Amino acid sequence: MTQKTETIVLGSGPGGYVAAIRLGQLGKETALVEKDNLGGVCVNIGCIPSKALIRVARLKMQVEAAKQIGLDVSGVKVDFARTQAWKQSVVDKLVSGIDFLCKSHNVKIIKGTGQFVGPNQVEVASATGKDVVETKNTIIATGSRYFDLPGFRFDGTHVISSTEALSLQTPPGNLVVIGGGVSGLELGIMYANLGSKVTVIEMLDQLLPGTDIALVKIVERSLRRLGIVYHVKSKAKEYRDGKVYATLEDGKETSFAADKVLVAVGRRPNSDQISLEKVGVKTDSHGFVQVNKRMETNVPGVYAIGDVVGPPMLAHKASKEGIVAAEVIAGLNSEADFRAIPGVIFTEPEIATVGLTETQAKEKGYDPIVGRFPFTALGRALIAGETEGFVKIVADKASNLVLGVHIVGPEASDLISEGALAIEMGATVEDIGLTIHPHPTLPESIMEAAEAAQGKAIHFLQK
Amino acid sequence: MVYEFRLPDVGEGVAEGEVVKWLVKEGQEVKENQPLVEVMTDKVNVEIPSPKKGTILKLMAKEGEVVKVGQALLSIGERGEETTTAKSQPTITQPQPKPISVPTTSSQAAKPTQKPHEILATPATRKLARDLGVDLALVQATGPAGRITDEDVQRFKQPGRVSVPGAVQVTGPRGAEERVPFRGIRRKVAEHMAKSKSTAAQVTHVDEIDMTEIVQLRQKAKDAAERRGVRLTYLPFIIKALIPPLKQYPYLNSTLDEEKAEIVLKKYYNLGIATDTEQGLVVPVLKDAEHKSITQLSTEIASLSEKARAGQLALEEVQGGTFTITNVGGIGGVFATPIINYPEVAILGVHKITKRPVVKDSQIVIRDMTYLSLSFDHRVLDGAMAAHFVTAIKQYLEDPKLLLLETD
Repeated sequence: MTQKTETIVLGSGPGGYVAAIRLGQLGKETALVEKDNLGGVCVNIGCIPSKALIRVARLKMQVEAAKQIGLDVSGVKVDFARTQAWKQSVVDKLVSGIDFLCKSHNVKIIKGTGQFVGPNQVEVASATGKDVVETKNTIIATGSRYFDLPGFRFDGTHVISSTEALSLQTPPGNLVVIGGGVSGLELGIMYANLGSKVTVIEMLDQLLPGTDIALVKIVERSLRRLGIVYHVKSKAKEYRDGKVYATLEDGKETSFAADKVLVAVGRRPNSDQISLEKVGVKTDSHGFVQVNKRMETNVPGVYAIGDVVGPPMLAHKASKEGIVAAEVIAGLNSEADFRAIPGVIFTEPEIATVGLTETQAKEKGYDPIVGRFPFTALGRALIAGETEGFVKIVADKASNLVLGVHIVGPEASDLISEGALAIEMGATVEDIGLTIHPHPTLPESIMEAAEAAQGKAIHFLQK
Repeated sequence: MVYEFRLPDVGEGVAEGEVVKWLVKEGQEVKENQPLVEVMTDKVNVEIPSPKKGTILKLMAKEGEVVKVGQALLSIGERGEETTTAKSQPTITQPQPKPISVPTTSSQAAKPTQKPHEILATPATRKLARDLGVDLALVQATGPAGRITDEDVQRFKQPGRVSVPGAVQVTGPRGAEERVPFRGIRRKVAEHMAKSKSTAAQVTHVDEIDMTEIVQLRQKAKDAAERRGVRLTYLPFIIKALIPPLKQYPYLNSTLDEEKAEIVLKKYYNLGIATDTEQGLVVPVLKDAEHKSITQLSTEIASLSEKARAGQLALEEVQGGTFTITNVGGIGGVFATPIINYPEVAILGVHKITKRPVVKDSQIVIRDMTYLSLSFDHRVLDGAMAAHFVTAIKQYLEDPKLLLLETD
């Protein structure tokens, strides 16, 4: 059976479903193809479930620590099965919300696995058979999947990916995390808070590779406090008889007992399962689909967005790109022209960054000034009992233009949006410093850092 | 003690500079060597560092103002000190008993300013520009920190500039107008050209050149050059063909010293290369061209024009020219009448090479043809010499083997 539509969106993650809804808003006939649940990795087995579990783990830690401030709750117990059920209810709510929004915008949802069979033709295979859908435009929003690691074959029970790690019914006794990147550390810290003994093995020379080391240092301090053992410049070799064998930085061979091994060593684009060769869509050597600022591939009528077009692999980037692709298809003049994409890491404490680091600013030819404000000097952070970390603002000396904002500390993920807005608006540190920030709140730290960049922070003694 | 800082002599022959941008404010504390002001002199920007530590008491020139060497720029002192001298002094130039030397080494003093070029506009303004079809790179920013505002975009996109289908003309019959500050390189070029036109008695001599041999020669040499990492253009060949005639007719490589009533014949060959940049015409100088190989010339021209476009030329890289070449062949046209780069006395226009039918040995054949246009100062030399000079260049270009007879 052959169906016809104006636009097919392949994949319903935060890129795909957003593109489909925008297309619907713009009156375009749209079909959204999804082989699994609506919402993709992010909603089902990524951002959302992980943040839900992290919330519970943090809450436990905070309640236990509350004794110091006069709130003595004894016998804190986590009913993890119930936590999991609650997490799933959050996911389900979001999935049905996406379903509702798509249907309300006349987006047709087709369940099945899509692949190109020719120009303007996508075949969707499902349990009930195969359908060919003819289309004028296609948006590739197929996302990414995790890499596997030699010596560690995923078995779903002992050697697991983040997907299983987010669905365990009890926290593991010993958890070995291979890969000290974002999801490895987030989940490692979460389980450590829930009582697991966690070991992290990272191949590169620092945890959270690519993140400013000054920010990572703060997180390392809390890892040590949580009893998480971590090894950088170390290589995990294999999992055998309940143990992970590894070569450490000093060359020493060792092994770690592991009830569960979480392999989180990065993600690769899902560009290899949709028969791109049938339409001649170009990818680079890593398999990322190549697009321009309008999210157009080299083939007219074929667009690509999100993880499949390259890093940073972030849901919010995918969504913005989805909107751009949808608008371009509808004949609008849109472009992915954002100056900065914020990145957030839900570690303990959180890290959030946007824009250039001091080093990157120098490399770009700026003469940067830096303003730093520690959370120890902030009333609200003291009240929250979370004084670790700081806000760092990088600005151009000549124009005071905000170039980057880097935060490690309480609610960094919520604080960073002000930095993103500042960069997009071309704000200066004066603009931020002169804006009244309500007291007592965490965002005051950004105002103070902006003032510090100009050498005039009030609540922090500058040399 | 109040110290009055005057525009130092930043390089040979620089008599004045335009204050492009103040990098400090009144009342600001400055460190020694901290950049105070960006000054444009002779087509390059230099940052002038502070000679001492202190507080900026008063800025004595406005941005856009032209300041003579030795004229007071600002005063530095202790916080709260009065700028008594500044008050009593009129803003006109005070005769300086001694020229003030640059307070630090010259490399620090005359540092070309280089800033990353970023187009700053809010997301909404960027969208407005896209919707109006305006290229933000061309829009003059008036907002703080160099931000382009909605108004800037609207001003750029006025009716009359580009017709918008269905657009209603709400402005007067002549359309709206945009006022662009006449500053920086644009003003320098204007002054320079007007001075040249009003001083020199300019005549342009044009000749037709058969470039077939050069085209073939370049074609052959191109790959070899590329292997050495050099992108070979026609300009180095033209320079090679130009040097012997310049030596033969030294009046073309001279200046007129009217005060002493002497013509100065230069025995060195520093060629100005007219370069188009976003800000306007800049003429970096290729020093001692007579001693350089084709590949050296290629590499140096590439590097100079790149620096020119990035606004990173050092002062010495735009000074000391003896003869200028302007090459518009890459753009098009038949030929032009270039304006002499005063105080030089001649400029050679190099134009587009096109295949044209020509008569050779009583046959109509297809050859790679171009025009060379030489503008010269008729006060210093006459038409006959100019014609001889161009004929000599023509001879080398049409038969490049003759260049083997030349030294260097």
